[in-house]
Amino acid sequence: MSSARRPGALACFGRGLRLSLSKPYLAVSLWLIQLLLASVLILPVSNTLHDLLDDSPAASRMVANPDLGWWETLLRTHPDLLGNFPDLLTGLLTPEGVTASKLGGLRGMGAAAVSLGLLAIVLHAFALGGIFGTLREPHGSLVTFGREGMRRFPAFLAFTLAALAAALSAYRWVWIESGVALHDRTLELQSERQVLAITLARLLLLALVLSTIKLVADSVRAIWVARPDLPPVSRFFAGIAGALSRPLRLFGVLLSSILTVLALYAVWIVADPSAGGEARFALVPLILTQQVFVFLRLLVKVGYYAGISEALTRTPSPEYSYVAAPPPPPPSPSPAGDHEPALENPAGAV
Amino acid sequence: MGSAKARILLLALAGALAASAVPLPAAPLATPVASYEISCRLDAEKKVVEGTELLTWTNTTTHPAATLQFHLYLNAFLNTRSTFRRESGGMARGVSIPDASWGSVEILRMTFADGTDLLPALLYLSPDDHNPDDRTVAEVTLPRPVAPGETARVSLDFRSRLPRVYRRTGWKGDFFMVAQWFPKIGVLQEGGWNCHQFHANSEFFSDFGNYDVSIDVPSRYRGKVGATGKRVEERTGTGDRVLYRFRQESVHDFAWTADPDYVVVKDFFREAGLADVEILLYVQPEHASQASRHFRAVKAALSQMGRVLGPYPYPTLTLVDPPWGASAAGGMEYPTLITCGTQLIAPASVHRPEEVTIHEFGHQFFYGMLASNEFEEPYLDEGFNQYMTARVLRATYGPNHPVVNVFGYRFALGIDENYPVDTNRRYFEVATQDVHAQPSWKFRDFKNYGSDTYSHTALALSTLENLLSVNIMDRALRLYADRWRFRHPTLTDFIACVNEVSGKDWTWFFDRTFYSSGDVDYAVEKASSTPAKPPKGLFERDGKLSEGPPPALARVRGYDSVALVTRRGETALPVEVLLRFEGGKTFRSFWDGEARWKRFRVAGGPRLLEAIVDPDEKLALDADRTNNGKRVVPDPRAAARWTARSVFWMQNFLDSLTVAW
Repeated sequence: MSSARRPGALACFGRGLRLSLSKPYLAVSLWLIQLLLASVLILPVSNTLHDLLDDSPAASRMVANPDLGWWETLLRTHPDLLGNFPDLLTGLLTPEGVTASKLGGLRGMGAAAVSLGLLAIVLHAFALGGIFGTLREPHGSLVTFGREGMRRFPAFLAFTLAALAAALSAYRWVWIESGVALHDRTLELQSERQVLAITLARLLLLALVLSTIKLVADSVRAIWVARPDLPPVSRFFAGIAGALSRPLRLFGVLLSSILTVLALYAVWIVADPSAGGEARFALVPLILTQQVFVFLRLLVKVGYYAGISEALTRTPSPEYSYVAAPPPPPPSPSPAGDHEPALENPAGAV
Repeated sequence: MGSAKARILLLALAGALAASAVPLPAAPLATPVASYEISCRLDAEKKVVEGTELLTWTNTTTHPAATLQFHLYLNAFLNTRSTFRRESGGMARGVSIPDASWGSVEILRMTFADGTDLLPALLYLSPDDHNPDDRTVAEVTLPRPVAPGETARVSLDFRSRLPRVYRRTGWKGDFFMVAQWFPKIGVLQEGGWNCHQFHANSEFFSDFGNYDVSIDVPSRYRGKVGATGKRVEERTGTGDRVLYRFRQESVHDFAWTADPDYVVVKDFFREAGLADVEILLYVQPEHASQASRHFRAVKAALSQMGRVLGPYPYPTLTLVDPPWGASAAGGMEYPTLITCGTQLIAPASVHRPEEVTIHEFGHQFFYGMLASNEFEEPYLDEGFNQYMTARVLRATYGPNHPVVNVFGYRFALGIDENYPVDTNRRYFEVATQDVHAQPSWKFRDFKNYGSDTYSHTALALSTLENLLSVNIMDRALRLYADRWRFRHPTLTDFIACVNEVSGKDWTWFFDRTFYSSGDVDYAVEKASSTPAKPPKGLFERDGKLSEGPPPALARVRGYDSVALVTRRGETALPVEVLLRFEGGKTFRSFWDGEARWKRFRVAGGPRLLEAIVDPDEKLALDADRTNNGKRVVPDPRAAARWTARSVFWMQNFLDSLTVAW
């Protein structure tokens, strides 16, 4: 009976982080993908801002701080720039949520941003193939990343789209529809505290469902890469079973990564390098700081995927405990054998 | 005098003194026109208030009154055919009207002083839209006309069915906000009755009078009943009931509230030069920690508005905090009673509860004492009050900070929202869609009604204040308040006060900013500065024309600078233009703003750095301040930094999209 010590969630996440640090090119590739996608908007944003601000006396006070009046005027006088993009972003977080019909209100750069988001989701499927594949290679490289990504792209894209559909369904049914169904009832409640408690419960449920979807999808991806010996259907179900058999450990890895990212954002908010105007951070150091932050966040992200892979492949489990039978012991040497040439290596063979 | 007699006399004197210890009603502040004695009983289970009403009404016109007209406001909620429901389209102030929100007021008996039954002659009128299904205005024909100056008495019984709370009145559970609840006489003017229907976007108009109201409620409401005026009696009624009596002179409406959950907190306002006020706060238990914020806000308003407009003259002020699910009752004003608006999570940097409390208190002046016609001139109460609210908030708290709502939780952003321009930006969206000064029900929709009556008026008055000076504006407001206190002023009356105080005719300002649909927008289209060049061509020298300028003209120095300022908006207002030069020199010029454009030239001066129209931001009505200036040498720093930030945000946005799947 095996007495192998099962690593805990923190240990898995820690190993994942070490793996991520040992293969920094994975985070670099994610960073490059996101930067290239974001850079599509650099020119339109830059040109528009220079056009609106450079000649304006408001420019000097806008260096350091946002100006509510400028922003409101921009949205009012240039509805073609963003459309309802700001409303979508803020609406996503309201109890009413955002429905697909509101996408019709997107315009200009707002619409482009959402399209880039969809492209980012597709490219992320490719990147995940590269990440999981490279993590299993002792000596990977960017070439490995690209090769593994392309090799698994069709399957991983399918997983991503399925997970996306599941997550959107969860958002709709767990968040929006429950909000609609409960709206009138919550108005009849005695206190606002009760309403907030219900909102919090709905939020927690949504987070739980989304986390489950994510963990199942990532588990399938990890097993898909780890068990090439299994047929595709078996790999798929082994991935689902892998998530269901280690829910706490996987949730632990996810929670660890979320807390780490939140800590990074907390540091960012406290340090606030974007504020304070040019006296605090000149433009180039600001851009560098921003990109270092993004890179650190992506290191944690790769660490999470490596942690999930660790949690699934380092611990034995019923569906993944099959271990091939040990090779048969070499036949005991017999006196006669000494005079017979080995079958595989007949004498004189070339 | 014998000792026995002396003792009797002393006892009598003591009795008289004891009697005088009960506060006697002070002399009325206003001549009563429509006074009410009401006894009512709340059926908390059926959500019905039944009562008897004795109306004492005086004809203040020069013509006899053959009829009386009454507001039956609760009939606005009678069914979907009422004018209110038709106009609202199922929405009340942006909130959908819940089912089971039907309400009504029925007159069960109505008799004239001589005993004549008036009920058979009762007719429903629809003076505004001729809707035959609207029952918010009723008229009765009197057995004989009421002569000018004569006082008539009408006695009636009524039954008011309260709706599930919306549009500021009704119930939720055990909570009751009882407003616009009794048959109320209209205002007779020289031209006839002014008695409008209840519209989706209208409020109220009534004559001043004295109110004496007895309220009979179940005993679970003991100590939890607040109302207009001062409570003068509390006694246990028959059965499991308790009876309260409130009195108030010189007001034009009466509202009351009851909720067994109320926490009642008391405070006092006392300031030299102003009247003492007892402040009662009926607050929900979960909002009790915000009591001090309400008190600080209302005291700031009592002080600052009192110093500009004159003291708040009533001895009490009641603040009501409606419970969760009854926010439709919040943010409303009644004489000496206002309803607040707050949430459990109300960050201190967001002055939301304070803003509502100050605004509703401000209505004690603009509506309460300066009882303008809210149907016909809604800007006189909401708009003037919005302007004064912004002044108090700015002076007391500084800039507001907007919030982002995350799953119902509100987080303040670190962005300054300045009063009054930033807090009234909604007006700019609809700036040219409606004539700003018009009856409340004639606006295109609720958004336009709110944006024009509240925000446009606040910005217009702020603009006027900047053009006049704060001192003149305050004196004009004070004159208006003193002259029209406890009367029915119009905008024309305020304009007269402005003209009188300033010594100039400002009617043109109101014509352009109130009685028009124009917007204000000035812009600097172009600013340039080039090194001055000597003139070229043929010049007279020694009596002959020769090529090239004479030495005096050839020696040029400095720069030739040009700024082109345009009026993009329809409304013309006087404006200043500032040219800022190298070396710190500035040049200010006044422009009447009438033409579509004006070019400003400075020859041979220092190099122009920037041109700014309205540099002191006096024109609060300016719809687009981002075009108010032009730099000669562009400054790319802001655009570069915000581009960098945008890319960073975009990277985070893209990453967030790949987190969950």
